[in-house]
Order: sequence, then structure tokens, then C-alpha cells
Amino acid sequence: MEKSVAIEARGLMKRYDNDVAIGALNFEVLQGECFGLLGPNGAGKSTAIRMMYGSSLIDQGDLFILGLNIKNSGREIRSQIGVVPTEDGLETELSVRENLILFGRYHGIEKNLLHRRCEDLLKLVKLEEYADHRVPELPVGFRQRLVFARALINEPRILFLDEPTLSLDPSARQWVWNQIQNEKAQGRTLLLTTHDMEEAEKICDRIAIMDRGKVLAVGTPRELIQRLVGTQVIELQVPRGDLQYYLSRLSSHNFAFQVVKQQVNVHLKDNDDPQRVMNLVQGISLTLRQSGLSDVFFKLSGHDVRDELI
Amino acid sequence: MISSGKDLYLKRVGIWNVWGRNFLVFRKSWIVNLFWMVVEPTFVLFSIGYGVGAFISSIQGVAYVDFFFPALLCLTAMMVAFFETAYGSYSKLNFQKIYQAMILSPLEPKEIIFGEILWGGSKGFLSALGVTLVATVFGHTDNLLIIPALLVVFICAILFSSLGLLVVSFIKSHDQISVPTSGFIVPMSFICGTYFPLEQMPVALKYLVYLLPLTHAVGAVRGILLGGMPWWQIGLHILVLLLLTLLVVRAVQGRISKKLIH
Ligand SMILES: Nc1ncnc2c1ncn2[C@@H]1O[C@H](COP(=O)(O)OP(=O)(O)OP(=O)(O)O)[C@@H](O)[C@H]1O
Ligand SMILES: [Mg+2]
Repeated sequence: MEKSVAIEARGLMKRYDNDVAIGALNFEVLQGECFGLLGPNGAGKSTAIRMMYGSSLIDQGDLFILGLNIKNSGREIRSQIGVVPTEDGLETELSVRENLILFGRYHGIEKNLLHRRCEDLLKLVKLEEYADHRVPELPVGFRQRLVFARALINEPRILFLDEPTLSLDPSARQWVWNQIQNEKAQGRTLLLTTHDMEEAEKICDRIAIMDRGKVLAVGTPRELIQRLVGTQVIELQVPRGDLQYYLSRLSSHNFAFQVVKQQVNVHLKDNDDPQRVMNLVQGISLTLRQSGLSDVFFKLSGHDVRDELI
Repeated sequence: MISSGKDLYLKRVGIWNVWGRNFLVFRKSWIVNLFWMVVEPTFVLFSIGYGVGAFISSIQGVAYVDFFFPALLCLTAMMVAFFETAYGSYSKLNFQKIYQAMILSPLEPKEIIFGEILWGGSKGFLSALGVTLVATVFGHTDNLLIIPALLVVFICAILFSSLGLLVVSFIKSHDQISVPTSGFIVPMSFICGTYFPLEQMPVALKYLVYLLPLTHAVGAVRGILLGGMPWWQIGLHILVLLLLTLLVVRAVQGRISKKLIH
């Protein structure tokens, strides 16, 4: 069965003053999919996701959410989506329950239904004990749970999450990941941004790798790794003076590699024997490991790799 | 799909939901709020109106406190409404990110802005109402003309709550609020026919003062409560207030919308 398209971006552009934040973004997200925008700081992930949930204006291009044009159906779209933003904007003078009820009112949800849903959500995110506590009393991880519940109050068809695990401790992160899986199992479409390769690999069905406002590649994590860097990587710690020597040896044997600072990453295809590389670079300390999305990113972004990814 | 019925419903309740949010938060700390809203102007009523007023035998043919009371209503509405939006909305926009959360829901920027203006205005009006009640308890107001007078006070409150939001749309940091406060609001509170009649002003200043919104609010409310002012003059004052309000609301709508969705 053909899956229908939940989000369709065609040539999205956005400028801040004269800086291009987003240059010609194109992608499609299918219904029921968990789609990740992955990229380093300043890549334009937040700008892109904000355009999708209607908090940023689009300078050029077209954007359809659930088949509706964002330019003239903003309210209708917002009534069918949920958002977990980076700045939560929770009501610090109100209790956890009041926060949910208030947001439900903005959605125009009928009173009895709203109260029922509110209690269900408190249970779902395990905040029943905190229902009457004011927001500042919540630990950061629990605060994020409330933001999750708030995003679900209208039973959205799409959930947008901007760096949902930023500044969370490992157990809170795990909670968010589980929750994302649960929502996916409920049939919701999810679109999230992250700069964390591991997170993207773990929870996203498909990802778009972004840098400097552009999508560099789209695909499933496996597919991107297979296609662009192969399944295995050998990391070589090459002494400064010998770099050119080893690089030319690797090139002459047709090995693909990437230089990341003082380290050379040699990408192995499925049928490549690691031993062949080892023979070429005898005496150099090396490690063999599985390829990951960060290798894909290094490859795609070329030599001007950003520090925060290393 | 949302039905057109639901869409209409959301359109109808949007502004009130924003107003209701503020009321909900207000109720959490109403004692503190009420204190600053009503107790302070009550002190002014007693110290200036009755206290200082005791040394003035009559002004424009009435007791000083009667002359001063209409101005106090407008002053109270102005101060409370202006500070509610200037400080409150600044913080909601820049620190608490309340508006940014609101636009994640079906609320539209326009509804958020109108809801905020209406709230600031309501709060200003509420404190003027509080002052009226205190004055009634002390036997000061016994006249049904207070009802149309309070209506004008409400317009005045809406105007100044929009002006507060206009300030928010210009300032770059929190402490810049003091510029329009000490440069505009506070001076205005002294010279717009509040504590003394405009006739006392040097001629040049007198005409300048007519450019200030508070002058028209005080003029209309005093005209209604004390009588003796031709109705068209009262009408003219109200018209100026309404036009200014319209102008400011328009400007605020454009400028704040850009801060919500950019
Ligand atoms: N409000 C704004 N005004 C001006 N420039 C902006 C604004 N918001 C973002 N930018 C610029 O647009 C570019 C993309 O920023 P964006 O926040 O979308 O990146 P990001 O991928 O979310 O990064 P981060 O990991 O830091 O969240 C950056 O160069 C940023 O400086
Ligand atoms: Mg971001």
C-alpha cells in the first residue's frame, strides 16, 4: 500500500537579514514515519522545523503539512500537530495540570473531554504525583515530560520535536526515546531535529543530513552508511610528517578515506578485506570499527568539519 | 480536518482564551496584585484629594477632591494598564516565552495581541473600579454618571495598555522601559490637567498638552462627572482617545506579529 505524504517541502528558502539560513530545502516525510533532521549547530535545523510548525515565515518555496498549504491553512494545521520546542514556554506560575488544561483550551477542546484527556496524559507521562506542583518544582527531565504531554493534548497527527533530548541526563533521554517509539507505534508521524548522530541512528526511520541550510543526503541510516561510507572504518593515528606518504599509498590502492584532524578514517566496502589496509600501513596504530552516521557526515561535509561533531 | 464550525469557534474564543490565561495567573497572586492596584491610588486619593485638597477652598467651583477624583481614575487606569503590558508582556515575550508557546496552538498572533491589550485594559479598569468603590464607601461618588465616566476610563486603559505593548515592540532590553516611563508616562501624569487645571499652564505648553492622550481622558471623565462641559466637547475628547487607540493598536499588531512569527 502506498503511504501518503505527511510533510512536503519544495524549495524552502529563508533569509535572516542577508544571511541565508535555509537554501532550497526539498524533502518528503511519509505518514507514520520518524524523520530526523540531523546537522551541527547553525545548520538550520531549528529554522526548518519552525517553518513547518508555523513559527517562522517562509521566504520562498512551498510547504504542505497533511496536504494543507501552510501559507493559508496555518490554524488548521496547528490544530492537528503537536510541538516540543527548545524553549518550552511553560507557565511557571501554574501547576502541571493547569498547564495542560490551558493549552487544551487554546485548542478549543470541549471541557469534559479535555479533563479526561489531561488525566490520561498525566498518567502516560507519569506525572500524576506532580499534577498539582508548579512547573519550577519539576526536575528538568520531568519538565520535558510535561512539554510532551502538552504537545499531545490535541491528539496530533504529526509531532514536531526540536532537539528533544538537549540537556537531558541519560535516563531522561532514554525516556524521550521510548516515548518517541510509543508515539510512532500509535501511528503518529514524527519529525525531529538533533545534532546527535547516535540518537538519529537509534530512533529515526529516515534522516536528512543538513549543513549550512542545505540537505546533503536523505535516506535510512543504514542505507546512507552503506551507500556513502561502507560498513566498516579503520581509524589510523598517523604521525604529522608521514600523512602525505600514507595518503598516497591509500589512494594508489583505491581506498576511500577521510582525514579528520590527525586521524585518517579509511572506509571499507563490504567486500574489502581489512587486512589489505593493515598491510599498507604497517607500524601505525589503528582501530577497526563499524561505520556510523558521523562518518557519513564527515564525508558529506568535506574537510571543513565542524569541531562539535568530533 | 477541522470543521468550519470548530474554526469559527476558535475564532470566537481566541482572544478570550488569552485573556483567560492572564486572569488564571492573576488569581494566583491576587492579594499582591490588588494591593498595588487599589491601595496605592487610595493613598493618593486621601493624601492629595482630601489632605492637600483641604487647603484649597474651591477649584472650578467644586471641592478639590471632586476636581481631582476624575483625574485619579484616569491616572490609575493609565499606570496599571501601561505597566501591565510594558513589564508583563515584555517578560512574557522575552523571558517566559509565553507567546511563543501560544502560537504552537491554533491561536493566531492577532488574537494573542488583542487578548493582551484587552487584559492590560481590564486590569487598569479594574483598579479604577476599585478606587471608585473606596470613594463610594467614603461617600464620595453617589452619582450614576460614574457609569459613562468609567466607560471612558476603560478606553483610556485600553489605549495605555496598547502603548505599553508598543514600547515592548521597540525596546531592546528590560531597563529601557524606564525611558518612556520617566520621559512620557510620569511627566504626563503631572501636566495633563490632573492635579491642577490646564488654565494654570503657560499658553505655549497648554496647546502642547492637548497632544497628550491623558489630557483627553481626564477632560472627558471630568466633563462627565462634574458637568458644565458641552457634550460635543466631551465627544471630541472621546473621539481623540478612540482614534489614538486605533492608531496604536494597528502599529502594535504589525510590530508584535513580526516578533511572534519571524
Ligand atoms: N532569529 C534569527 N535572526 C537571525 N539569524 C538567525 C535567527 N535564527 C537563526 N539564525 C541563523 O540562521 C542559521 C541557522 O540557525 P538554526 O537555529 O536554524 O540552526 P540549528 O541547526 O537549529 O542550530 P542549533 O544546533 O544551534 O540549534 C544560523 O546561522 C543562525 O545564526
Ligand atoms: Mg536549533
